Amino acid sequence: MKSFLHRLALVATLLWGAALPAAERIPPVPTRFFNDYAGVVSPETREALNRQLEQYERESSNQLLVAIFPRMESGSSVEDFTIRIAEAWKIGQRGRNNGAVLFAFMQEHKLYIQVGYGLEATLTDAISSQIIENELKPAFRSGDYDAGLRAAVRSMIAATKGEYKGTGRTHAEGNSSRSGPPPFWVIIAICVIGGYVILSIRRSGGATLFTNQRRTGGGIFWGGGGNSGGWSGGDSGSSSGSFSGGGGSFGGGGAGGSW
Amino acid sequence: MKTFLIILGVLAALVVAGVLFVTGIYNGLVNRGQAVDAQWAQVENVYQRRADLIPNLVATVSGAANFEKTTLTEITEARASVGKVQFNPGTSPTPAQLAEFEKAQGQLGSALSRLLVVAENYPSLKATENFQTLQSQLEGAENRITVERGRFNELARDYNSAIKRVPAVFFAGILGFKDKAYFAAAPGAEKVPQVSFDFGKKEPAKP
Repeated sequence: MKSFLHRLALVATLLWGAALPAAERIPPVPTRFFNDYAGVVSPETREALNRQLEQYERESSNQLLVAIFPRMESGSSVEDFTIRIAEAWKIGQRGRNNGAVLFAFMQEHKLYIQVGYGLEATLTDAISSQIIENELKPAFRSGDYDAGLRAAVRSMIAATKGEYKGTGRTHAEGNSSRSGPPPFWVIIAICVIGGYVILSIRRSGGATLFTNQRRTGGGIFWGGGGNSGGWSGGDSGSSSGSFSGGGGSFGGGGAGGSW
Repeated sequence: MKTFLIILGVLAALVVAGVLFVTGIYNGLVNRGQAVDAQWAQVENVYQRRADLIPNLVATVSGAANFEKTTLTEITEARASVGKVQFNPGTSPTPAQLAEFEKAQGQLGSALSRLLVVAENYPSLKATENFQTLQSQLEGAENRITVERGRFNELARDYNSAIKRVPAVFFAGILGFKDKAYFAAAPGAEKVPQVSFDFGKKEPAKP
């Protein structure tokens, strides 16, 4: 019985392993602008380009990303797979659709620039194709990934500059403080505190509110209030250099190639 | 008298509930239908984008010394016949209209691909920047067509299944909701223009 179970487990593992390369996997949303999942780019270039792309979103609101994968986990064509990734990552601001992603798949030697609806007029198919042909392909062929990507990022920024005006913060930064409703627990906390205050006023007739509160342990509630102050500024540490999709959409603009 | 009023009240409540129920379904179907129509506009848009490239392409290609005239006339004719397909403005097409549209666009697509194949024999033409630009624009147009067609099909399928699901199916016919036509799953004509682009290795046909 035991050996049967063993064999079953083995067969299942084999089947799983065999099924895995064929199954498509949309990569999870990245947390950075420059993502080298294949480990082919030097740490300096990675940092420099990430900072450059982050700063570019602050200035222009355009979200440009780079994603380098070791291989393509899909049986579909590169243009079909990459547009679905770009859509899933929601690159570009909602309404403007001003996102673009440069994809590279190392094992397949494939490159693709997906351009969101809002940037199709500036980062045209022809320009995307030129970036791939003239900047990326020669560099990738000679293994100088850093130089190729630096040049490509520079060209993508140059092409899309001036189309939109930025807010001075990235979507990730904008989210973490002012905009958006407060979390649910904050509302609950405010209601509880408000209710408690009203109850104490009613019970004590208002004048002795503060002494009354101190006596009944209201400090616990005020402690909760202090915590809620942490919500507004708490995320600021994580937003440096990090990417968050604004809700943009893609329609198949851009170009691709193989090196 | 009192029981009569109660019965009347219950009946009125039932009628109101029923009206609200049907209204909800109706509005849901209208929204879905509108989404299909809006997406159809997007589909026409991207096909138009391809058609708009053709005058420039023909001009560029005919500039090349003794370029085959037959492929050029073929393209010009195909483009003209695409323009002849008529639709009811603002709504997605009927099955017959869609079939006609598919046929005309398919002819244009294969004429374009033949032109690009013929262009392989003219290295000096292929080397010009103008032609390379047009080629990347043409590829982009084909990609957009694939994307928007796919989205149109998704929305049309969503709508068609919505009018056939259980509560809606009892009213959809009476309220005048009809099936929306959608594109054939893998029309051969659609793939043809893809093969002749020479960005390195040839890609396998799309599924």
